Amino acid sequence: MTNAREISVEYLARVEGEGSMRVKVVDDQIEDVEFSIFEPPRFFEAFLRGRPHTDAPDITARICGICPIAYQMSSVHAMEDAFDVTVGGALRELRRLIYCGEWIESHVLHVYLLHAPDFLGYESGIHMAADHREVVERGLRMKKAGNDIVALLGGREIHPINVRVGGFYRVPTKKELEALVPELEWAKDAAIETIKWTSEFTFPEAELDFEYVSVCHPDEYPFNEGNIASSKGIDIPISQFNDFFTEEHVERSNALHSRVRGRGAYHVGPLARYAINFEKLTPLAQKCAAEAGLGPVVNNPFKSIIVRSVETLYAIEEALRIIDEYVEPAESWVRYIPKAAVGHGATEAPRGMLYHQYRLEEDGRIADAQITPPTAQNQLTIESDLRFVLEQHLDLPDPELSWVLEQSIRNYDPCISCATHFLDLTVERV
Amino acid sequence: MGDDAAGPIVLDRLAGRLPDTVALIESVGDATHLLETWRDTDLTIVVDAVVSGGVPGTIHRIDGIQGFPAAWRSASTHLVGLAEAIDLGGAVGVLPEAMVVCGIEIDRVGPGVGLAPEIDAAVDNVVEIVVGLCADYA
Repeated sequence: MTNAREISVEYLARVEGEGSMRVKVVDDQIEDVEFSIFEPPRFFEAFLRGRPHTDAPDITARICGICPIAYQMSSVHAMEDAFDVTVGGALRELRRLIYCGEWIESHVLHVYLLHAPDFLGYESGIHMAADHREVVERGLRMKKAGNDIVALLGGREIHPINVRVGGFYRVPTKKELEALVPELEWAKDAAIETIKWTSEFTFPEAELDFEYVSVCHPDEYPFNEGNIASSKGIDIPISQFNDFFTEEHVERSNALHSRVRGRGAYHVGPLARYAINFEKLTPLAQKCAAEAGLGPVVNNPFKSIIVRSVETLYAIEEALRIIDEYVEPAESWVRYIPKAAVGHGATEAPRGMLYHQYRLEEDGRIADAQITPPTAQNQLTIESDLRFVLEQHLDLPDPELSWVLEQSIRNYDPCISCATHFLDLTVERV
Repeated sequence: MGDDAAGPIVLDRLAGRLPDTVALIESVGDATHLLETWRDTDLTIVVDAVVSGGVPGTIHRIDGIQGFPAAWRSASTHLVGLAEAIDLGGAVGVLPEAMVVCGIEIDRVGPGVGLAPEIDAAVDNVVEIVVGLCADYA
């Protein structure tokens, strides 16, 4: 007699957007594993066609409420690549600073309210708060420190409006930035506590062979600039992204699945950035990582919660450094002349590398756009992890098995809203 | 914006009509921001557009602390919204002493269409409700 088990989670909780998971096991053999994205396609690339290139930062920021800065940054870098614009000095530093704000708010939200409940056995962050009030309050206060950076530099906390191609519409005064310092100093200590707290969780055993991919800069932990590097030997300019990576449509999902050409799944996000750029973390972040039991490469995806906490500490330290060294620039943006060209940008969203490519007309209008978000790039790896976790835990009853499978999806802090994608729409009328 | 601008327009029309002890704050709805605005307050009045299947222009007035309607809870997990912020605020003890939520049932949300006449009238009515609540609480 056939013994079939099917676990379906029709609506994944504590992730951004609408996705589902389905696994099927027959006679202890895994027959099917699917992580699906059913959120409707959103046609952002089509919206952009024909619009002025200056619209791209504000339109693409609307793709995601939790990582709008990543969309703004990848779009402006792509435009600047096309128009041969270099943004340096204080403007470049302010871009790193606003990215620090986004990492802090996004990472802290995920660590405290979305992922920690998995490790501590709570249905949600709200349930967890009933028993761990001080911890959750610490998380909320840390998140606010990140929100405040984004609000100051971006004009508002969500869907910021102050980023433009070439720089910003308005730059902050030194005094405005210095007002952020006391709370960031507090947040630095809180981040150290967060690393200790998360390192004491119990982690499922998992040592997986990932191909990690991230932006890699010779001198700094990556936010905005660098090459694209992988743990298996890729080291290319951003403009060669499509030569080494490919996207394909899978029928069950409204997100494209990405692969390394000729190889397969790859992994973007905190674990990838950390593995490829560990030596560029601050000495304090490296020390805290070591004290939390992490080596320079972490291959257990469940420990991404610790790495996210280490990156939060890094972002806070980097924000403090930038504020300390800031000298207000004479101009808020670098002027340029649009031209017909193709531009590429890849920056590090909290949940991984975000690639944009634009083909621009002579007058600066967008002829074509490609946006490859991190969750789409991770989708195959998430399914591969689900298969591994399933093999390891087949003996668990269904509720516990479902819990660890959902937990393994949340290791990636997936942003399904971002990943939802549709390249083209054909309506056939007869 | 269309009818979904009802909340910010209520704020605009309240300008100059409330005592100095009342702060008018526009929020994007992020729980962290909402909780910060609620901390150590006596009365919070939340005004927002809602779509719950009712007649456009209807004003839903509820006690935010005692019972948030299930129909107003977001079916999405995007961000942590008002209902979750109230739950979280209760768990960490930062809810105001009293909270009134005024939801204005809306219809049209197309860009640049402005408020429909029935929504415009509802906005005026909510302004008077807020002025009255603040006067009662003073």
